Amino acid sequence: MNSLERVIAAVHFQPTDRVPVMPQVFGHAAVLAGVRLGAYLRDGALLARCQLHALAYYAYDAVFALMDVNVETEALGSTLTYHPDQYPSVRSYRLAGAAKLDTLAVPDPQRAGRMPEVLKAARILRQTVGRDVPVVGCVMGPMTLATQLLGIEAALYLAIDHPEQFADLLDFTAEVGMRFGLAQMEAGAHLPIVFDPSASPEVIPPAFYRELVLPRLTRVFTAFKQAGAPINWLHTAGMTTPILSFYPNAGVELANLDFCVDPQQAMQVLPQTCLDGNLKPLLFVEGTPAEVAAESLRLLHLFAHRGGFILSSGCEIPPESQPENIAALVHATRQPR
Amino acid sequence: MYATTMDALVQALLDGDQAQAISTTKHLLAAEVAIGQILAEGVEVAMAQLDAKCTIEQFNLLEIMLCGRAVMGIMKELYPPDMPVQPTKAAVVVATLEGDVHDLGKNILKMVLTASSYRVVDCGKDCPVERLIDTVERERPLAVGISGLLTTVMPQVRRVRQRLAERGLSYVKVMAGGAALKQATAENLNVDLVAQSAFDGLHYLEQIVGGGT
Repeated sequence: MNSLERVIAAVHFQPTDRVPVMPQVFGHAAVLAGVRLGAYLRDGALLARCQLHALAYYAYDAVFALMDVNVETEALGSTLTYHPDQYPSVRSYRLAGAAKLDTLAVPDPQRAGRMPEVLKAARILRQTVGRDVPVVGCVMGPMTLATQLLGIEAALYLAIDHPEQFADLLDFTAEVGMRFGLAQMEAGAHLPIVFDPSASPEVIPPAFYRELVLPRLTRVFTAFKQAGAPINWLHTAGMTTPILSFYPNAGVELANLDFCVDPQQAMQVLPQTCLDGNLKPLLFVEGTPAEVAAESLRLLHLFAHRGGFILSSGCEIPPESQPENIAALVHATRQPR
Repeated sequence: MYATTMDALVQALLDGDQAQAISTTKHLLAAEVAIGQILAEGVEVAMAQLDAKCTIEQFNLLEIMLCGRAVMGIMKELYPPDMPVQPTKAAVVVATLEGDVHDLGKNILKMVLTASSYRVVDCGKDCPVERLIDTVERERPLAVGISGLLTTVMPQVRRVRQRLAERGLSYVKVMAGGAALKQATAENLNVDLVAQSAFDGLHYLEQIVGGGT
């Protein structure tokens, strides 16, 4: 069974030779390869090389054509500050101040900002791993991109003060995600993971999510499915328990659980949805291999009878993580069952 | 009786309805209700109810931000530009440390503490530890509050208590919070408290003031 077959089987609750393991190794791949993060995030070929190196080093079950959370907002005209060894941050938001939504057009992924470099990374990764390993791209969820075009505080105030304008903005951001995700698939990604941390119940109430975010998210996942994505994968950060029940209606087939979510509760709410998670990201920086192994085995045991589980971190594995801790996570899935 | 109007103010704040909160405050001021009373029986009561509502399971930024905006709106009514705010409680210095520009958590803490009558000194984001310590030395606060979204700021957070001690400021309590920092323990970060929310920080300060901890 290769990694792609293993992951797809797990998502469909079918038997696998072992539990798949997909640690969210993004910028850590640069650190592992001795490459400056700032360079990795602007060069698709370099990113692909580092991802392949990390795949060979750890032997887990996915590679990621993913730069950072600011690719879309930058492509739309927000300006970023880059750092040599950190992720970039937004210096000015495209829709801050008096800028109007109707001045924006959905960016062309072949041309806008770093989008072409993401596509290049997807292309190289797919050419190299073929159908053996899932090539995972990434798009921002509609809520998150909205907050990245305005700044989170202005976006939330707009949602309350001018709900119709905010709804238009969400329609637009969903369209951006769809177009970018489809371009990633055309370039070779098997699927784009949808990152929507700003849609967390820690940011907006569940009713807000249900009424405003869910319909757009459904549109995005429907488009990916129609284009042939084998799996619809969603990551929402934080304590997501109050919104998990909405996921199946949006077409989510694989749900990443952050470390603060109780996996048993999630299993009850989502009996037919594959779950991945949910080790605490900081454990990979500050913990020991023994602690990572113990936590991994606890999760593997918890899901042993149910299936529908992929071992992973609750959120991104921080770039500065200790390699032996990631190795311990991967090794846990190789233990005899 | 102003009690009904005060209840209406509390409700407007909880609803995050800034316009209603401001108009209700104007009524209270016109009825010659003292500013201190509006703060104690209106703003602080609303904050306490919001606090009770915001559990780990049910916490959302939107509600807190809307309430915060309404509070800041009525503060402008209570303290016009020619009449500066006069907080009744101790000072707290807040910052997001160098290397991290995500300051929403800090801003929420600032709002919660301001609405609870603390004097908040904001060192902003991307703040070097030394600037934070200089500010503490100048302002002599009860505590500092550090917010961090990135795990990479942890080494800097760990330095804060030691740098305070070196300047004879070890009586100042150090609170940490935010998405990255709240994954760690207080011991691990070398701080007095790792807060899961802004209200956690507020409770801790109230405990200190009340002689707890």
